[in-house]
Amino acid sequence: MIAALLRVEDLVVQYGRIAALNGISLTVAPGEIVAIVGPNGAGKTTLLSAIAGLVRPVAGAIDFAGVAVIGQPLERTVRRGIALVPEGRHVFVGLSVLENLRIGAVTRKDRAAVAREIDRFMQVFPILGARRDEPAGRLSGGEQQMLVIARAMLSAPRLLMLDEPSLGLAPNITERVYALVAALREQGVTVLVVEQNADRALRAADRTYVLNAGLVRLAGASAALAADPGFEAAYFGIGEAAA
Amino acid sequence: MSGLVQILMDALSLGGLYALTALGIGIVFSVMRLANFAHAELITCAAYALFALSGQPVVMAVAAAVLLAMALAALTERLAFRPLRKADPATLLIASFTVSMLIQKLLVFAFGSRVKPIDPLPMLSQPVWIAGAQVSLLKIVTIVTCLGLLLLMMVFLRRTSVGLQMRAAAEDFTMSRLVGVRADTVIVLAFVLSGVLATVVAVLFAAQMGFVQPRLGLPLVLVAFVAAVIGGLGSLPGAVLGGFLVGVTITLLQALLPAELRPFREAFLFGAVILVLLVKPDGLLPARGMKDRV
Repeated sequence: MIAALLRVEDLVVQYGRIAALNGISLTVAPGEIVAIVGPNGAGKTTLLSAIAGLVRPVAGAIDFAGVAVIGQPLERTVRRGIALVPEGRHVFVGLSVLENLRIGAVTRKDRAAVAREIDRFMQVFPILGARRDEPAGRLSGGEQQMLVIARAMLSAPRLLMLDEPSLGLAPNITERVYALVAALREQGVTVLVVEQNADRALRAADRTYVLNAGLVRLAGASAALAADPGFEAAYFGIGEAAA
Repeated sequence: MSGLVQILMDALSLGGLYALTALGIGIVFSVMRLANFAHAELITCAAYALFALSGQPVVMAVAAAVLLAMALAALTERLAFRPLRKADPATLLIASFTVSMLIQKLLVFAFGSRVKPIDPLPMLSQPVWIAGAQVSLLKIVTIVTCLGLLLLMMVFLRRTSVGLQMRAAAEDFTMSRLVGVRADTVIVLAFVLSGVLATVVAVLFAAQMGFVQPRLGLPLVLVAFVAAVIGGLGSLPGAVLGGFLVGVTITLLQALLPAELRPFREAFLFGAVILVLLVKPDGLLPARGMKDRV
């Protein structure tokens, strides 16, 4: 059995007295694409935030490559190899497209390799190359999504976490984003993606976890879950569907 | 013509000092959302370092003043502001007042409250003639130094990796950390840079005033805050623009107001500030995409 790259065990996160995660456990193996799906308020974003170090769990454990990451500063988590593309894209609107890419590689010393990778991203996304000196805030939503994924990839992460990458994007742009995710996996990057668009996530991911009200309601191979009659009930938190 | 040149030189030298002061305040505000009133004491302490080293070579005195201001800025960050990094802005503001008052009182304790004469740049006391106007060499050096330092800062922020990290952190501190920017490094660097800027202001301002006293930096910082707000709080180009605008306005008011109204020039200045903010509440060059601090 391949050792998990990411292991989350019995994770509990509370905002004041409200529990956002109620004891979640999951694993992500190297090279996998794993999806977390669920409705609004299921705890998906909180889960990614806890892994990235944005929120501190009150109980449970998060191990990345065998090292506990809870309590680490955000920047150290990035330097360990976890990159988060948060919901809403968050480009640095006042920096140019090129500067947004360069800041993504701030943890790296190999400047020549970084320059080559930036060139490669600009070839893959010619619009980024054509607008390299423009403020990133002028890009369209889809272009910004491509930019933030490229920016995250420039930190050479072992685990790329994407929070709602299709949110607010046209269907054809969403397909391009997921084509990029598939291409990244081919390069050996492990991906943990959070999606409300369950159909799209199931098609992209090897395995999927269904979250509702801070609990894992269902988990398994994406192909099997897509055919599972209990999937919708688990997604909407109806009945007693359990992982 | 000579009067115009005189006014222009006065406006640019005063505006340059305000611009550097506003930039020092703006750099810290942009990464920490801290309105650091203790910036005044960085200026004052640097000026006292010059006073303490009177008679020593100018280069040595200025180098010592820079080191002192940098160390003091880093120390206040580490001891007073870092423990409060997650506190609300009001708490940070009160902390900055406290640090400011504490340093002021320590200066009174060490040097007394009386003004002390100082002439850190005696070689610049002679006048020069430009287009028929007599201008002090000190004013010209002030203008050149301010513009040169602003240019250097621009190159630093735009052309270096650390400058890029500071600009990213200024825009969205949390996101910058999520891409790997080290929060502590960027914040300490912002304080240290503010110390460098404060020292340059201290040298030039003390040379123009000819004395030091424990509240030397306060009037400069109060006006520089106004300049930073006019320019757009958190926007570094805005701080520079605001500084020059305020300097020009004060100089013009001083030159053009009837003698009986000159004592009230600040009232006219702040009236103009209110008008600007009514039209542009975020300032003339608002910070783009500025997010809340962590």
